[in-house]
Amino acid sequence: MNEMLAQLPQQVINGLTLGSIYALLALGYSMVYGILRMLNFAHGDVFMVGSLIGWGVLQLFIEEGTTLARSGLVLVSMVCGAVIATSVLGGAIERFAYRPLQKGSRLTTLISALGASIVLQNVAMLLTQGRAKAYQTELVISSDWAIGALGATISATRLIIICVSIGLMLAMDYAVTHTMLGKAMRATSQDREAAEYMGIRTQQVISAAFVIGSGLAGIAGVMIGLYYTQVDFMIGFSAGMKAFTAAVLGGIGNIRGAMAGGLVLGLAESLGVLFLAPVYKDVIVFSVLIAVLILRPQGILGKPVDEKV
Amino acid sequence: MKRRFRLRFDEMRNLVKFVSMVTLILCVGAGFVYGKELPPVKIGAAGPFTGDLSKIGLDALNAIQMAVEEANAEGGISGRKIEVAIGDDMGDPSKGVLVAEKFGMDKNVLGIVGPMNSATVSAALPAYDRAGLVIISQSATNPDLSERGYRVMHRICPRDDAQGPAAARFIAEEIKAKNVYIIDDKGTYGQGLADQVAAALNQIGVKVTRGQITLEDRDFSPILTRVKAAQPDLVYLGLSNPAQAAGLMKQAVGLGLSAGFMGGDCMKEKDQLVAGAGGTAEGMYVTAIGRDIAEVPAAREFIKKFEGKYGAMSVFSGQSYEATKILIEALRTAAGDNPEGLTKAKALDAVHNIRDYKGIMGFPIGFDEKGDVIGASIYVYQVEHGDFKEVKEYPAEV
Repeated sequence: MNEMLAQLPQQVINGLTLGSIYALLALGYSMVYGILRMLNFAHGDVFMVGSLIGWGVLQLFIEEGTTLARSGLVLVSMVCGAVIATSVLGGAIERFAYRPLQKGSRLTTLISALGASIVLQNVAMLLTQGRAKAYQTELVISSDWAIGALGATISATRLIIICVSIGLMLAMDYAVTHTMLGKAMRATSQDREAAEYMGIRTQQVISAAFVIGSGLAGIAGVMIGLYYTQVDFMIGFSAGMKAFTAAVLGGIGNIRGAMAGGLVLGLAESLGVLFLAPVYKDVIVFSVLIAVLILRPQGILGKPVDEKV
Repeated sequence: MKRRFRLRFDEMRNLVKFVSMVTLILCVGAGFVYGKELPPVKIGAAGPFTGDLSKIGLDALNAIQMAVEEANAEGGISGRKIEVAIGDDMGDPSKGVLVAEKFGMDKNVLGIVGPMNSATVSAALPAYDRAGLVIISQSATNPDLSERGYRVMHRICPRDDAQGPAAARFIAEEIKAKNVYIIDDKGTYGQGLADQVAAALNQIGVKVTRGQITLEDRDFSPILTRVKAAQPDLVYLGLSNPAQAAGLMKQAVGLGLSAGFMGGDCMKEKDQLVAGAGGTAEGMYVTAIGRDIAEVPAAREFIKKFEGKYGAMSVFSGQSYEATKILIEALRTAAGDNPEGLTKAKALDAVHNIRDYKGIMGFPIGFDEKGDVIGASIYVYQVEHGDFKEVKEYPAEV
């Protein structure tokens, strides 16, 4: 019991870090689902591409075991590189893999999404030759920068991840509730046809949702690289599954729900490890999902949907 | 008008008939002529060429292909060309069985290099046995594999029940650790090796705590937080993916964990482990199931050629190259002057009877009755200045 209590603060920090990354990813899932009622299974792989691009940018700055520029500049460049790449990629996937199929059934786009995911994964495998790419996190954010509190080590990396994610989530929340684009998004998600009659260019709104969601995935990709310290072409799959779970958990289609779902999921995963062996952490995650689906099928913050006739 | 059309239609029909006949005759004739040349002998390469473990799979596949190209330049097998048939099992036991079935159905596949993972070998062995197809695994170390009585089973790496006790001896006698935390990846190889190390350590009287992760894990904070609470002197990694070990060690630093690390033969990988861990692997120990072939004079030419063609080499490249060469040597013996009469049964006998094969591994290779390699040693290496340095050698005894 004592040992368990001693681990508690650290696992909470672990959970918050992981949860905020899941939340960022879940945002993209939920946004797209809210507007198009479609599951973008390629989202996890866009995130993987973001993490690999972040790694590539980092390599440009590293020479002989030191960075050529200040940490802040390196981090900003990594994030910018990843965000630009993933936004373009997300926009392109929407334009070429989903838009042509929009008139078809929802299953068609779902299959197209799976296809896009497989393509991205295999292209990444060929380009990286299946090797894991090591993020030299310690060169950018020194592992000495850490705060010790209650027996937990809060490294600067974790702190940055948590703060940046929460900042981004607040910004997203504000954007959705207070800007014209956010209003257009909400309108499109409620009734696309009616929104179009009101003069909203829904096609552009959809593109914007994909671009923004993918950009967030790019940032999450860089963060996961810094946190895990290495990335490979397979990370998209499990991250995508977790993000999808987080989105469903929070109530899919609901932006705030996605954030809450991500944090709950991350914390459940880390705190569950206190009671069960770490090897069961995914079991815990999916048990939480099943429990929520049984007790509250619409998700934590979701509203019950009236069956459309 | 109508009549004319009919006439032309009949003419056309005759023409079509004629052309078909000629084509048919030509085809049969061509088949006859080509039939004289013997079909190529196929060597099956089974391993994880895509998926989580594709790195080690591709290291192996490149080496297998290189060995076959060299053998073809020397005239193949008594004049018959050699081809590599690729069977990608993704490290997944169920796919390993499919690969084995596929190879079993191809009558020109006469021997297999691989499968590489203990789990895939374990699952696929019955299928290879049914087909009577000899396999030489370059890296499956789980002891059980050669204890099940399948005659097709051969491997050129020593077993975990040789490696585990050697590692335990080193931990107790050289590192003098009192409290060891063992992490494994639940895989046939990883958990199997961890079991061996744990059993040997328990016997010596060293305190052991166990923990597990999965092959898919990239986030090691949960397990590391537990490790930190147990305050071990040494963390032993029974993992099959060196990149996972590298990530784990880097994340350990982030959590302020200061214990030393040790791992099994799969960890001995410069690019993924040492470079991947970015300095945190320094001082880590790994056991190896063969000498670093860079120190074997006979391997120099191979290393130069391999690195010139494919870049960095790993332990799997050397072992795959050696396994392929042994298989080719056996096939040549089995073929003798009669390459046409080469069969799976003859290939199996020839591999089984290989003795004192001198290749690039630095010791003469032969197989015992169970198909286990004879004469191997277990080596302990330490990471020093970004490279592996040999610190100890133990004879591989079971």
